[in-house]
Amino acid sequence: MSPLRSLADRRTSRTDPGTAPQHPAPARPRSRPRAWADDLVMGMRFAAGGGREGWIRTALTAIAVALGVAVLLIGASVPTLMDAWHGREKARENLGQRHEPPRGDTTVLYASSDTVFHGQAIRGRLVRPDGAHPPVPPGMSQLPGPGRMLVSPALKKLLDSPDGALLRERLDYRVTGIIGDAGLSGPAELTYVAGSATLHEPSGYRIDHFGKAWDPPPMRPPAVLLVIMTCVALLTPVMVFIGTSVRVGNEQRERRLAALRLVGSDVATTRRIASGESLFGSLLGLAAGALLFLGLRQLAALITLWDINVFPADISPGPLPATLIAVLVPAASVLVTLFAQRGVTVEPLGVVRNRPAVRRRLWWRVLLPVLGAALLLPLAREQQWTDSPFNTVRLAVGSMLLLFGVTALLPWLVDTVVSRLHGGPVPWQLAVRRLQLSSGSATRAVTGITVAVAGAIAIHMLFTGMQAGYTEAYAQSSKERPDLAYWGHTDSWRQTEQALAALRATPGVKSARGALTANIGQVPVPGHPADDTGYMTIAVGNCAELRKLAALPSCGSGDVFLTDQRDKDVIRPGATIDLNPRLIEDDPPEPHPWQIPHNTRPTHLLSPGVGPNHYSFDLLATPSALDIGRLNSSDMELTVDYDRNLPDAIEHIRNTTAHIAPALYESSTVDNPHDQQLSSVRNGLFAGAVVTLLLIGAGLIITTVEQLHERRRMLSSLHAFGTRRASLGWSILWQTAVPVTLGLALALGCGLTLGALLLSIIDNGVTVDWPVVAGMAGIGAGVILFVTALSLPPLWRMMRPDGLRTE
Amino acid sequence: MTPAGSLLEAVALHKVYGTTPALDGADFSLHAGEVVAVMGPSGSGKSTLLHVLAGIVRPDSGTVRYGDRELTALNDTARSALRRTDFGFVFQFGQLVPELTCVENVALPLRLNGVRRKEAERQARDWLERLEVEDIRGQRPGEVSGGQGQRVAVARALATRPRVLFADEPTGALDSLNGERVMTLLTDAARDTSAAVVLITHEARVAAHSDREIIVRDGIAREAVGAA
Repeated sequence: MSPLRSLADRRTSRTDPGTAPQHPAPARPRSRPRAWADDLVMGMRFAAGGGREGWIRTALTAIAVALGVAVLLIGASVPTLMDAWHGREKARENLGQRHEPPRGDTTVLYASSDTVFHGQAIRGRLVRPDGAHPPVPPGMSQLPGPGRMLVSPALKKLLDSPDGALLRERLDYRVTGIIGDAGLSGPAELTYVAGSATLHEPSGYRIDHFGKAWDPPPMRPPAVLLVIMTCVALLTPVMVFIGTSVRVGNEQRERRLAALRLVGSDVATTRRIASGESLFGSLLGLAAGALLFLGLRQLAALITLWDINVFPADISPGPLPATLIAVLVPAASVLVTLFAQRGVTVEPLGVVRNRPAVRRRLWWRVLLPVLGAALLLPLAREQQWTDSPFNTVRLAVGSMLLLFGVTALLPWLVDTVVSRLHGGPVPWQLAVRRLQLSSGSATRAVTGITVAVAGAIAIHMLFTGMQAGYTEAYAQSSKERPDLAYWGHTDSWRQTEQALAALRATPGVKSARGALTANIGQVPVPGHPADDTGYMTIAVGNCAELRKLAALPSCGSGDVFLTDQRDKDVIRPGATIDLNPRLIEDDPPEPHPWQIPHNTRPTHLLSPGVGPNHYSFDLLATPSALDIGRLNSSDMELTVDYDRNLPDAIEHIRNTTAHIAPALYESSTVDNPHDQQLSSVRNGLFAGAVVTLLLIGAGLIITTVEQLHERRRMLSSLHAFGTRRASLGWSILWQTAVPVTLGLALALGCGLTLGALLLSIIDNGVTVDWPVVAGMAGIGAGVILFVTALSLPPLWRMMRPDGLRTE
Repeated sequence: MTPAGSLLEAVALHKVYGTTPALDGADFSLHAGEVVAVMGPSGSGKSTLLHVLAGIVRPDSGTVRYGDRELTALNDTARSALRRTDFGFVFQFGQLVPELTCVENVALPLRLNGVRRKEAERQARDWLERLEVEDIRGQRPGEVSGGQGQRVAVARALATRPRVLFADEPTGALDSLNGERVMTLLTDAARDTSAAVVLITHEARVAAHSDREIIVRDGIAREAVGAA
């Protein structure tokens, strides 16, 4: 056994004070787990009763761990919240099924009546029960009757507000109840279910249950990137902050550990005791992090991203990730403590720092970002992002290696640069010499800034690129499509005409055009498979409407025109075509043959492909040329040109179309909801980056004050022989500014590289948000001033003559 | 004005830390080129007296005159300037700046006085040579022995050719042999430059290097019995 028994050994050998033994009782050897537990508990006691410095260290460790735990819990909740969101969507939906059940007591006609109001999507569903026992979706006890509706709390609030006046005209059903949480995808969702007395097939689907057999689509690449990058960019500075905080009050702790060595603790025991001190802060942080997570998830109710808004209760990590976080985070803080003590030997008479001066090697530091880039480059070269576990891991590991590469490169860069700095005024010399002697602690704190800024720049680039992509896509589709187009089922030209008249009478409408359209096909030959490529489209309208589609030499009732969109061999005057083609594979309908009149004349379309559904018309016909009722799934297609300068013109148009047919689909390039959503997320990210940088600034202050504290005697002597306060103040500024500036330069390079790679991965053009880059650099500069300013009062204090007193 | 021949004169100094009186009506005078040892037991107020005389700490009452200036009436900036130009300091643990080399440490007060770096370092090298530590000029304080460090501290204190050198237990952390050598070098160098020395010590062996001894007890300074 070692001659230096551990303190706990001594404790166990303590005798009962009531007895007076002649010789001390022999020490009972402790089992290893017991020794570990005892020492850790003793360290925790020191942390709890270690005075002001101990409590500051504990509090800072707890704050850092709490932030880390909260970020990890949120990250670990993403898969479950997406599952929950998809689950809610799946449970309440049943649109688009291929085989409708026969009409009966338990069936209901069901249709989408989605709309948009002031840029906000509103999910609408119309129901018309066939019998007395229709299925009821989650969140409601019964279906609303005709002219009534159940609404989500958010929609109720909107309808009741002055802003909702126009919407009330559109949704003029009587509100008879509120949809419960089970029927909503998120608390901010705007949705309603209305009873309709006029809904009919095929506008409505017949269903006998809610709950769609539907596999959720994989998360979109930007969402995957966002989650991974946010976790990496936030966690790294937090880890750095933990590393800084466990070093607070080192001097006092080392004195205490030396005292413990003096009374017999061995080196391993002192390390375990130090670990116990960190563990205490870490456990407090774990609890605080869990509380912070619970608080933060309440905010999720206010956020809508990619039209996804979730309930706080749905944000919950699975048991395995939660357990891993609960175990690994405290363990990580203990490891950081042990890592901080490497090269330091606590001896009974003090601390011996026996770490030799290590020359920082470049090769392995460069290797990390190179490996990261090597993992990301193939993803960037792929045509399209494929959501697979392998790619996700490649992306996460590649991004982390790039970011961590920065942390590895920074100490080398700082060392290399400061070793070349000479001369200059006294404050500069003091700062540079300090960094030359020991740049470790300053660099350690700055690595946090570097990773945070690099991550923030990369994420911002990702968002800026995505936003630019959406804006470009909307601008492009605005050129290709009219501003507003509607389509929905109709089986009469008269209804289409009435719709056009109503639209033309709507305030703000400059013009409206429309047609009744349908698919037609070749007549199937019995015993032969149908030719799926043989579909054609026909547009039916009066001559005035047809003239808006094609150049007609003359037009009269009963006329038919053949456009130049098709091969003349397939469709020609005199040929017989099928007005009721097979549109669904398993559902061969009865053919409705129709002969194209012999007097059909050729024409060419004015703007081929202008229809909102992008179909070109093969045939144009006036209503009396054919029996419209024989067409399969005929739709009215309405296109509106309106006065953009008139406030709410579009909302008036939507009100009109809602009254023409609530189930009309709108194709619009007016609202770009992504723009607003992305802007708000970018603002949030910027704020997050600022908070992270301030956190790191706090870490830097701790490091600086700690250093000042250790040097207070020297500072007092400098003051004694007349050194100006300003000189020392400037030296602190330079001491912070040099590593921070180098860190920011590195962050800029790394952030731009990573951002460019991420944008390439999602096939977006590389766009740099220079104001954000400048903002980040500005915040970095602000951190320097912030740290310096807050370090000055302790500096003045340390310069007092008290430090010179030795008695 | 100070009495004839007095370079530094203190009258009726009072200073209280919290509720503990450190100086309780102490008087003191120092002549140009004189070496005065201030002795006394621990906690008697020796260091406080030095801090007040050097203008590092303001007394609660009483006056300190340096030449024709009343030190206690000067503001902090003026007192700092005076300490840079006219005073030098040696402390028990040297208090050298750990990140600077020995020659840079000695050059530091010169540079604070506006001397250019090269010239300051040239003068610093001369001082290091004079104090027999020229060979360690490129090393940092952490790399030299306690005695060598203290000699560097003496060189730093004398580099600006101060008129008064304040030494607070300059050999307190050294063994007797090294302490003796440092004191010899300190007093010789001070006398060569006509600097007066206020030497705080509780060792009679160190005080023996002085011209005159003052005993401080309970915050009151008295001329030592038998002193010149």
